[in-house]
Amino acid sequence: MKPRIIITDFIASMKGWIRSRGTIFWSIVFPVMLILIFGAIFSGTDNPTYTIYVQDLDESSWSQNYVDTLKNISVLEVENIPKEINIIEYIKEKDLRGALLIPKGFGSKVEQSFYSPNITVNLSFYFDPSDQGSTAVVRSIIGSSLQESNLFLTGGRHVIGMDQVSTITSKFKYIDFFIPGMIGFTIMQLCIYGSIERNTKFRKDGILRKLQTTPITRTEWIFAKMLFMLFLSFFSTAIAVIVGILAWSVVININIWMIAIIIANSFLFSGLGMIIGRFVKEEETADTAAGAISFPMMFLAGTFFPLQQMPQFLQDFARILPLYYVNEGLRNSMINLDYGKATYFTSIVFVFACVFFIAGVLLTKWKED
Amino acid sequence: MIEKSVQCPKCQTVLVCSGESGEVVKVKCSSCGMLGKVTFKTSIYPEEVAIEVSNLKKVYGDLVAVDSISFYVKKGEVFAFLGPNGAGKTTTVEMIESIRVPTAGLIKILGKDTKTSFNEVKEKIGILPQEFHSYERLTVRETLMYFSKLYEKRADIDQIIQMMDLSEHQKMLYRNLSGGLKQRVGVAISLVNDPEIVFLDEPTTGLDPKARREVWDVIAGLKKRGKTVFLTTHYMEEAEHLADHIAIIHKGKIIAEGSLEELVQKYGTGAVLHIKKCTNNDATEILKESGFLAISEGNGDISIKIDYKERVLEILAKLRHACIEYESIDIRRSNLEEVFLNLTGAKLSEETT
Repeated sequence: MKPRIIITDFIASMKGWIRSRGTIFWSIVFPVMLILIFGAIFSGTDNPTYTIYVQDLDESSWSQNYVDTLKNISVLEVENIPKEINIIEYIKEKDLRGALLIPKGFGSKVEQSFYSPNITVNLSFYFDPSDQGSTAVVRSIIGSSLQESNLFLTGGRHVIGMDQVSTITSKFKYIDFFIPGMIGFTIMQLCIYGSIERNTKFRKDGILRKLQTTPITRTEWIFAKMLFMLFLSFFSTAIAVIVGILAWSVVININIWMIAIIIANSFLFSGLGMIIGRFVKEEETADTAAGAISFPMMFLAGTFFPLQQMPQFLQDFARILPLYYVNEGLRNSMINLDYGKATYFTSIVFVFACVFFIAGVLLTKWKED
Repeated sequence: MIEKSVQCPKCQTVLVCSGESGEVVKVKCSSCGMLGKVTFKTSIYPEEVAIEVSNLKKVYGDLVAVDSISFYVKKGEVFAFLGPNGAGKTTTVEMIESIRVPTAGLIKILGKDTKTSFNEVKEKIGILPQEFHSYERLTVRETLMYFSKLYEKRADIDQIIQMMDLSEHQKMLYRNLSGGLKQRVGVAISLVNDPEIVFLDEPTTGLDPKARREVWDVIAGLKKRGKTVFLTTHYMEEAEHLADHIAIIHKGKIIAEGSLEELVQKYGTGAVLHIKKCTNNDATEILKESGFLAISEGNGDISIKIDYKERVLEILAKLRHACIEYESIDIRRSNLEEVFLNLTGAKLSEETT
């Protein structure tokens, strides 16, 4: 291999990249945009608050006590609905997602229950069924608070409790989970689409035919392109990390596993791009094929959300996707600092990389049949 | 005079015949009486040969794209490989350029077998592939520098830019160039290693007449600089305008080969005098009676085949003598279109479209 030829091709790729708005967008702007947007969306999810509207028709000391109990729950913000307003109309008018009605006679029924244990009283919870996320949380909070009140009123006691212990260092937030996924995804996109461009557009434009008649060898060309892809991968990783640190104060651990996964990730998806480019000759069709593979993988491999939030069959499916191992490897090396798992995932990514890259190189032909 | 022994394909009798270099001699088998032709190939010294192709064949399944063709290209000449689309031109040139693998045959470039020594040959040839588009986001100069640095031997880029008249455009991105300029850059790229042989595969296809002329000027310039040019084209005017030697390929076979003059003389119908709008309807008959090969084309137009130029004066004198007036005359020489028509029964321009 001649270094002069490799450097020449590398420099040409760099110039082409700097002058291409599309590749600049995908390698810099897009990951930065997603980090900023997702960071902003989920910046409040670590300490979320929910608003509950309460109409107290009873206005007794018992009902007031219960409202105070709700107000003391840190994640709840309690707003009062005036007594004289129809609650359903109010909900519709204000487009509220949840409201609690304390009926008239609430206090007296509670008092009667001390003498007649069969007497019960119900609060009414009005909710919007389309807002399953926050409704479920609020309903669960109200349910817990009612259970606590029942325990208190009936003289019950707590026997079994629960201590909450985070499995990751407590200072980590959603964005810390998101950034490794973003790095894995960005590298995947860059490498797949970069490979496809080289194998379809360059073939269509006659560049591969031309190169074949010059002294550059196929090995030198692939080596130069991989060198460039590695540069792009590390560059976009650096951008993601810097933006994450500056905008969201993320804590990133840079170590040998992270570097190894980035290298393996670049080879893996460049190989996949070569394979697609070999079988799908048209540039547009190849782009569509790449999208059909990469976009579902982005959502199913735990790039944006933890895999545990998905149904079991999707979790099982994710385990055959290479990006899942990339994401897990990066998270374990950068966030969880579980180097045992990081080694395990890195090894799997390397196996994937070897298989895909070798297959890609073998399938990338310059000579026509 | 060259003596040559040939075997009768019918009865296998060995016949000895003689002829001059480049001559085609008719022979009759002394045993079975079968008639045939023997070509005495132009003798040439090996050091004069730039490209030698022997029995080159390419088969795709049942389709024989190139059917055992043989030819050679002399150093310093513009060799045009002419034929309609699908005739096998690009397949042939791409086998010579080692882009495609031949099914059979031998290719030598500058005396080296391309099968075993193409890496050595690469430094001495420059290639413009068909429908080539270079890197879109490199400037003209950067493109030339890129390809130049791939070679050990490099030509002066400034000189190439000047020669190709690209000075004004050298800082423009390739993607922003017009079709003609892109082809000029393509030719320029093929010169970055100062090659001895330049392969140009349909360099003017898709270009407007002005851009085509510009590329022709560039090719003519290459010839002046002593380069051997292997040009594939389906434009007969291009071959007529540029080529020293023309090989016509049709359905994978070379059906004729020689200089323009040789081809026209051998396969053309000679020159034809066209007389427009004769005032007398009997003009054709009068000329025929005088021994001229006159054909009426309607509307008073007549065409007369002429075998030597003095016949034109004789015809005009005959018309004047018969008091026949006409609107205009013109003399048309046979061209490659006619040669192709006579050889294949089809028009080259029609087969191309």
